[in-house]
Parts: sequence; C-alpha cells; structure tokens
Amino acid sequence: MDFFSFLSLPRKLNLDMADFEQRYRALSRQFHPDYFYNAAPAERRASLEKSSYLNDAYRTLRNPISRVDYLLKLEGLAPQGPEQASKQVPAGLLEEVFALNEELDEVREQRSGGAPPDVWKGRLERARRPIEAKRAEHEAQLQELSARWDATGDRAVLELLRDRILERNYIINLLAGIERELNSTVI
Amino acid sequence: MSKVVGIDLGTTNSLVAYVKNGVPIVIRDKDGDALVPSVVSVSQDNTIHVGREAQRRLLTDAARTAYSVKRFMGKGREDVRHEAEHFPFRVGGDSGEVVRIGLGDREFTPPEISAFILRDLKHRAEAHFAEQGEVDNEVDRAVITVPAYFNDAQRTATRDAGRIAGLEVLRIINEPTAASLAYGLDKKHSGVIAVYDLGGGTFDISILRVEDGVFQVLSTNGDTHLGGDDIDVLLMDLILDGHKGPPLRVSPSNVGVDPRVGPSAETLQEIRKSAIQAKLDLSDRDETTIRVDVGLHYERRLSRAEFEALIAPIVERTLGPCRQALADAGLEPSQIDEVVLVGGSTRIPLVRRKVEELFGRRPHSELNPDEVVALGAAVQADILVTGNREMLLLDVTPLSLGIETMGGVVSKIILRNSTIPATGSEMFTTAVDNQTAVDIHVLQGERELVADNRSLYRFKLRGIPPMPAGLPRVQVQFQIDASGILSVTARELRTEIEQTIEVKPSYGLTDEEVERMLLESFEHAEADFAARQLIEARNEAESVIQATEKSLRSPEFASIDATEISADERKKIESVLAGLKMVLKSTDRETIQKWTHALNDATQHLAEVMMNRSVSAALAGKNVDDV
Repeated sequence: MDFFSFLSLPRKLNLDMADFEQRYRALSRQFHPDYFYNAAPAERRASLEKSSYLNDAYRTLRNPISRVDYLLKLEGLAPQGPEQASKQVPAGLLEEVFALNEELDEVREQRSGGAPPDVWKGRLERARRPIEAKRAEHEAQLQELSARWDATGDRAVLELLRDRILERNYIINLLAGIERELNSTVI
Repeated sequence: MSKVVGIDLGTTNSLVAYVKNGVPIVIRDKDGDALVPSVVSVSQDNTIHVGREAQRRLLTDAARTAYSVKRFMGKGREDVRHEAEHFPFRVGGDSGEVVRIGLGDREFTPPEISAFILRDLKHRAEAHFAEQGEVDNEVDRAVITVPAYFNDAQRTATRDAGRIAGLEVLRIINEPTAASLAYGLDKKHSGVIAVYDLGGGTFDISILRVEDGVFQVLSTNGDTHLGGDDIDVLLMDLILDGHKGPPLRVSPSNVGVDPRVGPSAETLQEIRKSAIQAKLDLSDRDETTIRVDVGLHYERRLSRAEFEALIAPIVERTLGPCRQALADAGLEPSQIDEVVLVGGSTRIPLVRRKVEELFGRRPHSELNPDEVVALGAAVQADILVTGNREMLLLDVTPLSLGIETMGGVVSKIILRNSTIPATGSEMFTTAVDNQTAVDIHVLQGERELVADNRSLYRFKLRGIPPMPAGLPRVQVQFQIDASGILSVTARELRTEIEQTIEVKPSYGLTDEEVERMLLESFEHAEADFAARQLIEARNEAESVIQATEKSLRSPEFASIDATEISADERKKIESVLAGLKMVLKSTDRETIQKWTHALNDATQHLAEVMMNRSVSAALAGKNVDDV
C-alpha cells in the first residue's frame, strides 16, 4: 500500500486537484473516527490508523515538491539522507555557489568595517538575483520532467528529477541563507 | 438512554447545549440565562459555589474565589508567575509542577476548578432533561471545546477536568471549528470561511474550506493569552491611575492586591466590575461614565474614541496571527468568502472594523457570539453518538510536534496545520553497547531550540534488547488523535519487541492523579454535604436549647409544683441540657442530633404541662363561649 494506490491514483505527478480533494473527502467520510465512536475497539483502532494514513497521504501528495520526493522514494531513488544532500554542492551549481560565497565574505567584511546597511544590503540583493533565476529555471524543468514522467514512465526521467530536486533544495537553502544575512543587523 | 451534551468551557462564561430533533439548543436556567460565569468560590464552611453566586462572592470574599482559571490550564508554576499577581486568589505549586490555586485552606489544580464548573453544567443539563420528562436524565458524556491554539498540555488538562467531573469526554474540539459547524447547519453551501474568535482570555483564527458538508480546517493560529481580560486590565489601570489619593496599580510592577500598597482584593473586584461595565456600554454607545463607589471613589467619562485608542494595541495583536493563518493556508484575504465572528469580545466595534478591514468584507454575526461555540459542540456530540455522516469536521493540529535531538535542537515530526488524526515516527538507536533505555523529550512549538518550545513529555524508552551500540532500531510512533491529543508507542524493529513507555507529562496530571481527584471530588462533595448537615444539626440543637432555657426561666415554670414535674424530671432536663451544650461545639453531627432528641424527649412532658398552664392562663377570666 502506498499513498497513490490508497487514493486509487496512478503514480503520476500532475494531479487534477479538484478530483484529488474530492477523493480525500470521500475517504475521510469512510474512515474518520467520528463514525466509529460506538464500534468495537479493533474497528476504532483501524479507523484511527486509516484516517491518519489518509491525512499523511493528503499532505504529502497535495504539495508538488513533496509529491516528487515521495515518488522518488517509492521508486527507490531517494537521496541517501537529508544532511548529505544539503552539504554536498550539486555539480550544476558549483559556479553560482562559488560566486555567492565570495560575495557573502565580502559583505561580512564590509559590514564589520562599518559600511552603511544600504551599501551591503544592495550587494546582497544583487547576489540573490542569479540564484533566484536558477530557481525559476528549476521550477520550469521540474514541470517539464514531471510531464515527461507522466507520459512515458521512464525511470531515466526520474533520475533527472532527483538531481533537479536535490539542486532545488540546495537553492532554497542558499536563498534562506541570504535572507538571514539581510535580516541580521549586528555583526 | 443517558444524555450527551456539548460544553463550551470558557474563560469568562461556560454553557451547555444539546441536540433535540436535529436542532442544537442551549440550555438556560429559569431566568432564561444560558451563561454560567466560570467562577468558583469556596466559602468559610467549605461549601463550593459556582457561577453567579460565586461571581457575587468576588465582591465580598475575593481571596476565596477563582475566575479566568482557563488561563492556568496545562500550565506550570513558572509559566504564570507574572500574571498570578493580577488575581485575588493564591497561585502556587512547586517549581516545575502544575499550578495550584489556593482558596481558603484548600488547594486545587486548574482541572479541579474547571471540574466544578463542568459539574454545575452537568447538573443544569440533568435538571433540564428531568423537567422535559426524560426517564433517564443522567448526563455522562460530553464534547468539550478548547481554543484552537491550545497545546497538548492544555487539551489534556481540559479532558482531565471532564473526567474529574464524572464526564466521559467524547472529544475535545476547537472553538472556532465548533462555531463553523453551528453556522454551517442551515447553509450547506461551499466556500472558504475565516472564523475570528476573540473571547475572554484567548484568541483564535481558523481558515476552513466547506465542501460537500466536510468542514476542513486549512490552517489555524492564535494567542492563548489574548482576550477581553486584557482589555479589563487596561481599564482597571486607567481607573487606578486616575482616582484621587495615593497611586495604585494592578500591574505587576506595583503589587496591586497587597492591602498595604493597593486596594483590597474586593475593591479591586469592584473596579474590575466597573471596568467591564464600561467596556460593555461602549459597544452600543459613544460615551459612558465609569463609576466606582465602593472601596474608592472614582468617576470619569470615557468616549468610545478614547476607549479605542486604549485598546488598539490589543486588537492589533490579533491581526498578525490572522495573516499567518492566511499565509499557511496559501490564501489571500480576498479569497475568503465569509468571515464569522465568535466570542464576546467581537461585540467591540473596533474589533469588527479591524476584521472587516483585513478581510475586505463585512463579518457575519447572526448567531449569538457567546452561544455559537456550545451549539457547535452539541452538533459534534450528536454526530459522535448517532454516526450521522451528513457533516464531518476535519481539524488540524495548531503546533508542530517534535523531539529533542543533539545540541538542544528540535527535530519536527508532525508539522503544524497537519490534519488530525495524524501520525509521525522517528527512529532511535543506542549510543553505548548494551544500552537498554533511551531518554526521549517531546516538545510542541515552531522554534528551533528546545528551550523556546513547550515541553510536553519526558520519558524513558525501556526494555531495548542488549546489543552493540547503534544496532537497535527503535521506532517511536507519535499519534495525535481527533481531539488533538498525543499518545506515544514504540517498538524495536529487529526484535519486534514493544517498548514500555512511562510518560510523565511536564505540566499535567498523571492518570493516577486524575483518578484520585475524581474520587476526592466525590468525597469532597460528600464533605460539602456533611458540612451543611452539621450546620443544620447545630442550628436545630441551639433552638431546642433556647426553648428549654426560656421555659426554665419563665414565671409559669416557677409555679409548677413537684406533683406535676418531679425533682428527678427536673434534674434529668438540666443534665441533658448541659450535655447537649457540651456536644454542641463538636463536629460529630450524629452525637449532636442524639442529644437534641434526648432533650426534646426529656422536655416533652414539661412542654405539655407548660402548654396546659398557658392555656388555662389564657382561659382564665374568659367566657367559655369565647373559647
């Protein structure tokens, strides 16, 4: 049993969201503990387990990114571990990451040298732009790859998807790092 | 068949409702009053008063009267140190332990105080059902509401209160969601609803999508320490600042309730009463006069504009959670189809204006904001017992659940706004060879560091089979049920051995404590009854003593000779009288009653003789015809 089959859905990445929500409501009506209050203990337990599982499935599949993550895991293509994934710089991002780190070092130096906030903040904003562009690029690629997986079911597509997802997670972390720098006022 | 009710256990007022022929109804007293003030008072003779009577006692015996106890539910001593000073009752308890509230010479935990209120509502409902001619009028099951933003400890404390009151708590449901059920009854259309619930002590915002009769909460947020109480304190400070004489304040900076520096606890309650009256007045009027006549003299006119300037920061504090809830639901304010107002504080015009501004539409308030939550609780109770599938409530957990990992950091296992019931699991292993136990610390909150989150439970996973370090694979499963309450199970996956978990709530009661309190509540109910009986017995004894002494002193008695009342009889009366006077001060009701009966018996003949005397005296000089 997996989340897709539980909701009687094929393992595809583009979902008809209205249909998805409707399935979720129908199954909730079937399993929710509200309707098993007077049932035997075993049935009540089963209702609790099934509706918990359903809610987990709903939450995981509703979001497009966690949907890809879940599919990769199902297909045995999950990255080794979240820590490993985020520490290792993906090959496709080496150039951007290198440039950004240099920029961040200089900004920190400027800041400790007493430069006014708008000077170093402006630099950070400029440093953010290429990363943002990378992210937009990745979103587009993810959509394109998802459509290809849905059409072909080709595992090679999944491997490409995995790499895109890893890079995307890395990009999100980079952006969060810049955001933190922007919000930090003291050295 | 015993009865099921829905209960809104509020900070300020509580209500009980039930479903009759598919329609939820609030149960009222004979004056038509549905609200039971959430106030409990213990009088000198240890009688427990609840509701209006307890509220009156705030003005005469404030130190023995507890209100707004909901603010203390699921809290530890340290959590409430600052706010405790606002209250006339003692707030104590040991460091790191659950709060204790002292009333007179007795101490209660917040769930016990809440249980008095719940028991009162239970009795109110039972009286109502008896009046309706129901054969079985017992109320033994209830759905109780809590603020959506209540954490696990606060929910558990509420459930414990129900159990102590002798109620099986079918479900704990969130107040805003309950309100949406009540609103949804007659309009089964679909759409996105925002429920803005500003009560006496808590604030909640919930965003729901309604479709095919399913009420699905998308996100919730709030502040369990924000409500009408805070407005009252601002107005009280205004009065204390402005009155003539030495400065007084309620704020913690100047100890308010100490009679040497501030007004007496009773005066403070008079001030609170006037403050609340002014607040209520300004919901309908542009200006009011605040007046205090007891304890201190104060009078001032307060315009609505001044009032609004005063409370603006409080209303402003509700808007942040609203924006967060919208962001979590992935919605813009313009995507909200309807806004519903709940809680007495939403009667304040400024609140309504601010909500309208934020969501860009006029909020609904067709249903009484004080009653709508209890109505929804009754609907949910009815769903549970009848299995009626017309409507379904899908709620979320308001706060993320996590466990402590290396370096005092929280690792999240179930994220906030996950639909409940929800599960999450985490794998643990050992750090040293043959280690058989692992410590686990469960927390709730959104922050990264353990210290910034709410500690829920600490427990030891025991019975791990001895193996080299790192080899055991212990899977700990966290289950949040449909009431939003957590339970934990664990198993070692290599051996399939189920682990023993001893869960000690960080700020709650153990099951044993709840059981003991339930028993004690019966005993105390008995003790309260016994205390009343003792007082009645003493009263009766005193009246017999007085009557006897009066007879013995009377001129008629002196004229009675030994042929009518023998010397022995006189002696007997005197000794029984002396005996009753001796036992009168004892606490042994039966002995007092026995001696009272003895004196009654001993004086019966005397009474007859005296009666005859007074009759003959009355008859003397009168015509027989007149008799």
